[in-house]
Amino acid sequence: MTGPEAGILLDRVSKTFGPQVALAGVDLEIEPGSYVAVMGANGSGKSTLLKVIAGLAAPTRGSVRVAGVDMRRAGSRLRAMVGYVGHASMLYPDLTARENLTFYAKLFGLRDPAPAVEEAVAAFDVERALDRQVRTLSRGTKQRVTLARALLHQPKVVLLDEPYTGLDEAAAVTLTTLLDDLHTPGRILLVTLHDVARAMSGPGRLVVLSAGRVALDVPLDGRGVDVAETYHSLLRSEVAS
Amino acid sequence: MRTETPIADTIAEPAATPGSARSRKALWGVTFAAMAALLVGAFAYAPEDLEQGPPQRIFYIHVPSAWVGFLAFFVVFVASIAFLLTKRRRFDDVAAASAEVGMVFTSAVLVTGPLLARPIWGTYWSWDPRLTRFLVLWLTYLSYLLLRGYVPDPARRARFSAVLGIVGFLDVPIVYLSVRWWRALHPEAVVFTEGGPQMPSQMLATLLLGLAAFTLLYLALMSLRLRLTRLREAREEAAP
Amino acid sequence: MSLIGSALVIAGKDLRLESKTRDVVGSAGLFGLLVIVVASFAFPTWGDGREGVAAGVLWIAFAFAALLGLGRSFAIEKEEDCLEGLLVSPAPAEAIFLGKLVANVVFTAAIEIVILPVFVVLLSLRPSDVAILVAAAFLGTLGLLTVGTLFAAMAVNTRGRESILPLLVMPVSVPVMIAAVKATQSALGGQGAGDVFPWMLLMLGYDVLFLMVALATFPQVTEE
Repeated sequence: MTGPEAGILLDRVSKTFGPQVALAGVDLEIEPGSYVAVMGANGSGKSTLLKVIAGLAAPTRGSVRVAGVDMRRAGSRLRAMVGYVGHASMLYPDLTARENLTFYAKLFGLRDPAPAVEEAVAAFDVERALDRQVRTLSRGTKQRVTLARALLHQPKVVLLDEPYTGLDEAAAVTLTTLLDDLHTPGRILLVTLHDVARAMSGPGRLVVLSAGRVALDVPLDGRGVDVAETYHSLLRSEVAS
Repeated sequence: MRTETPIADTIAEPAATPGSARSRKALWGVTFAAMAALLVGAFAYAPEDLEQGPPQRIFYIHVPSAWVGFLAFFVVFVASIAFLLTKRRRFDDVAAASAEVGMVFTSAVLVTGPLLARPIWGTYWSWDPRLTRFLVLWLTYLSYLLLRGYVPDPARRARFSAVLGIVGFLDVPIVYLSVRWWRALHPEAVVFTEGGPQMPSQMLATLLLGLAAFTLLYLALMSLRLRLTRLREAREEAAP
Repeated sequence: MSLIGSALVIAGKDLRLESKTRDVVGSAGLFGLLVIVVASFAFPTWGDGREGVAAGVLWIAFAFAALLGLGRSFAIEKEEDCLEGLLVSPAPAEAIFLGKLVANVVFTAAIEIVILPVFVVLLSLRPSDVAILVAAAFLGTLGLLTVGTLFAAMAVNTRGRESILPLLVMPVSVPVMIAAVKATQSALGGQGAGDVFPWMLLMLGYDVLFLMVALATFPQVTEE
């Protein structure tokens, strides 16, 4: 999809769910082409951060801009640029992989769903799973179909919430390679992680959230060890408080 | 578009400020006075109805209760719209309080109605259009309050209730029409005529006093309920 | 993508799902049929001036079938967070509502198409009566499903899940139920179009009003 380069800008974004504060004033600017790892303890706001960028949750305060446009103003158009993978697969268990992908292709307004589905199937190597009900697929295969779903429309912004959860080592290695392939110029990749080692291999920037705020925001260019140290001491101080 | 917060940032009203305590006491004072006047009016001042006898006096509680039952739902409607537009928690509090108070008065309508009907018509319930409308209103209040009980997250609860409040209120005139047409086909036992002007002036005066007194009672109960809500919110915010 | 376009894509998906699992039409349809069978034992004569009873039973069957279908309609979106999948797409929230509504109308219509001819035959209805019957069934069902789809989206997000749906729908649907039963009664009793007109108008007004209200408020229901 051509158009203005898709950068992300969060300006003093807060999000509360009743008395619960998920994000408390987050300022974040992400340039096109970035591959960012987002880390933090459970409940630090990682998932909410992604949801807010995906347009799933509207910020209680502050604004989210993608490609310079406020999400509130042009939500529909902006969502067409975003691919989101949450905790669950968002696939209908009783439909086949092919039916799911075709549905999402149409939903995302692709005029010609079939070629897009073919391309995604090839890219994620799910040919064998195509005509099987999603319910019957293995976790790893389902994961790949989920990614295919999120990437059908060639989004400029890709948001993945804990994609490594529950994957065995082989599947995890496949995923890492896939993510590296996805990291093309002009596309933003935002991935939440728990494992520091994974954050080091691939992403160029690390953002750490703590209690809904940005606690650490550093580039990852060969300073791996230092960053890991800083992250761990951050976690320790959190646990202590 | 608003970027200011809504739900999380409500400033809880301080538990007691002298000014508000005084105005609360004043409101209750006036309410009690009006209710006392109403009792006097209903039993001593208004003449006894020739046809219906002493039980007819329940009328002076029945009609004002109906008025307040309806008024309260209107307040729920307005507060619900206001909430969806601004997302300010205060409006949700008002809607919830009004629904609770309104339910009480609507229940009173459903209790006094049959009490009036029985001595006159020999039957407690005859699907009289007016009472049937209030039965539906009562059920709508019930579904509103039940819905609130079933949603733990405050923001979601507020949004869902607001939608139900709006739909429920817009339904009221349609319920009125449909029940009236329905009963027009079976014109037996219409207990409550919509007559007004034929009433002797003393009855009318007492009735108007009743409307005023009950409205005051509604306001007083609302202020009490809202104060309870604010105290609860203040406690929640103090100890997360 | 346009509102209607997205809505049709979503409706199509629901129809495809249903064609595979046959959950709704199966269980809801069977339930409707059961209501009628049980009623036949309770009220042995259908004709002979008992059109009122027949109409009432018919609409009880339709209402329960509709409610069952509605509950299922959003339950499938709760599994695997599929509703998020819809919300994260460019399709506007209103399209999700319309899509679900269309699908629910199709499912309930499928059930009604099976049940209605039974009544037509049993009561030897004239074609004009059948026309009224179908019109009443359509308008009444649409009203029930419009409000029902809105409330089902809420119900599925509460502690009680689908079980709270009848509680929410019933009070609000009183007018449309009265109108539908009355119109159906006229049709089954062969009383002609005159009586029926005000009820049809009421249902039409109800449908239009609540369709607009539902479209306006649905985004608030799905918002997080």
